[in-house]
Amino acid sequence: MNQFKMILRLAWRNLWRNHRRTLIMIAAIVIGAWSMIFMTALMRGMVDDMVADGISVLPGHVQIHHPDYRDDPTIANVIAPPSGELLEALGGAEVVAWATRVRVPAVISSERDTRGVTLVGIEPLRERDISFVAGDVVEGEFLTSPDDRGLVIGRKLVEKLETGLGKRVVVMSQDQENEIADRGFRIVGIFESKLAQYEEGFVFAGETVVQKLLGVGDQISEVAILGSDYRNVETLFRSIEAAAGDGVETLPWNEIDSYLGSMLAVMDGFVIVFIVVVFLALSFGLVNTLVMAVFERVREIGLMLALGMTPRSILGQIVTESVLLLIIGLVIGNVAAIATIEPLKDGIDVSIVGEGMEMMGASSVLYPALYLKDIVMANLIVIILGFFASLSPAWRASKYDPIRAITKV
Amino acid sequence: MIRKTLCTAMMIGFLAAALPTQAQDAREIVQGAIDNWRGLSSYGEMTMTIHRPSWERSMSMRGWTSGSKKSLIRVTAPKKDAGNGTLMVDNNMWSYAPKVNRVIKVPSSMMGQSWMGSDFSNKDVSRADDIVDQYDHTLLATDEIDGHTVWTIQSIPHEEAAVVWGKEVLEVRDDYVLLEQEFWDQDGVLVKTLKTLEIGKMGGRNIAIRQRMSKVETDDEWTELSVQSMEFDIEISDNTFTRSNLQNPRD
Repeated sequence: MNQFKMILRLAWRNLWRNHRRTLIMIAAIVIGAWSMIFMTALMRGMVDDMVADGISVLPGHVQIHHPDYRDDPTIANVIAPPSGELLEALGGAEVVAWATRVRVPAVISSERDTRGVTLVGIEPLRERDISFVAGDVVEGEFLTSPDDRGLVIGRKLVEKLETGLGKRVVVMSQDQENEIADRGFRIVGIFESKLAQYEEGFVFAGETVVQKLLGVGDQISEVAILGSDYRNVETLFRSIEAAAGDGVETLPWNEIDSYLGSMLAVMDGFVIVFIVVVFLALSFGLVNTLVMAVFERVREIGLMLALGMTPRSILGQIVTESVLLLIIGLVIGNVAAIATIEPLKDGIDVSIVGEGMEMMGASSVLYPALYLKDIVMANLIVIILGFFASLSPAWRASKYDPIRAITKV
Repeated sequence: MIRKTLCTAMMIGFLAAALPTQAQDAREIVQGAIDNWRGLSSYGEMTMTIHRPSWERSMSMRGWTSGSKKSLIRVTAPKKDAGNGTLMVDNNMWSYAPKVNRVIKVPSSMMGQSWMGSDFSNKDVSRADDIVDQYDHTLLATDEIDGHTVWTIQSIPHEEAAVVWGKEVLEVRDDYVLLEQEFWDQDGVLVKTLKTLEIGKMGGRNIAIRQRMSKVETDDEWTELSVQSMEFDIEISDNTFTRSNLQNPRD
């Protein structure tokens, strides 16, 4: 214990004997730690946003479809509305909200233009709890009931069609016999979305109205179920799948939108890779500094050895020096990172490059997300790898022959 | 209860007295105009000219209709387009191009698009008589022009009709020749007009033999349809309106 105290004191003093070198090293570690944490938070924020948007836009955490619906999302592949056991499961504690939808490709036309869209027949009250539309209606109103005869469409689509709130548009699709089914709708609400593709691609109408238009009775295209946490849908999925039975296809969101799902998985791996890469660059600096510190002090180390300090203590002292360096650097780096992220919590507007981001499905405002586990991981990796990096110069110092070391010029 | 019944009865009486005669008239006029143009069945030869600022092209074609639900149009010239055909039965539409030797059903997504590159949309061509049932017609004016009575009728689509227009205004002469059809958007802006430029006697009745569809917003762009010959109420076999006939003409 006493010996350790002495080594610690020696190490601390040695650090500040050449304070310029130490400060440069600390600066390198600070920048490294800061960039690791800050960049990770940015990436996490981006992915979280993408997943949250993706889920809120339509999937729901778990979905039930006709087995063929995902390959051929037409009105031919419909299922009966939930009943019996499934309905009971949907009332379970795991389920935060659920809704049924009729979702088919359609064509919308105004006096001046015609566009392809996805027509979604919804139960407005249930849908409110799941997807984004209800809260994002900026003009007019959201639908009020499944037999609401209005249509809610996106701002961009309104512009493309040169139409407006309160005007009529015609929606055309095909019914189950492949006959044309069309109908006039009055636009009662206009929504805005962070993602242009949703504004242009989706129109919402009452479920009953759409069912009548397409002649499918009370059948639906999908049941969407929202759980409490999108990262952990396994239990919810199991219980719903068991209740839904064999006739239908029940899938968690990460399999429905495999792009989003794999994105999330890749991200978790990528964060580690990123931290390691940053550290690798950093470790060369660290090793170099320590090697220099050892070379500079060959005679001094020789003297200490001659005075009776054990090689182990020498090794301990140099490793302690580097760990002290790392700790100081990390503390400052962490504080700096948190201090930069905190004021940016409200989002960083990157709309200059926003269009490219939107193509990827991310929005043009970045919200950095700081996770404790990312901070802990970054710090642990730096400390542990730093420790091993400093072992080599320390090892070499402890192996000096005292006489040669003292007489070295 | 009695009061309510009475009230209802009075309202019905009032409506019956005020509106319907006129509305009925207007509707009958529109129906008359369509019947005049088509007859129970018809066969005609016509030319369609598509004009754009930088180019113009003409197509000759032959058309058969039977009742309100069946029609077939086949292009005969120029050689490049000859054989192209469009078949409409009920609300379905098929098109055939000899180059690909395939009959393709025109999907709902393409109904709003232009028919053979003209200013007519597929919908204009296939659903011409939806206007009778899916609109409310009112007689706006009755004028005397060149010794003919001309009715001006405003047709407003029903709330849920699959029609994008805010209203259409039709001018129909007393011999049921459609003189003009205007398509207005929902802001009351005129979008396109179908105008009759020439009237002639063919197949025993007066019909519009030259009609021009032009968009208001784009100058110098129009499609003209002129009729060379027309026969009405003739015998046309139901086999004419089949996909196999569309693909392999039998006459």
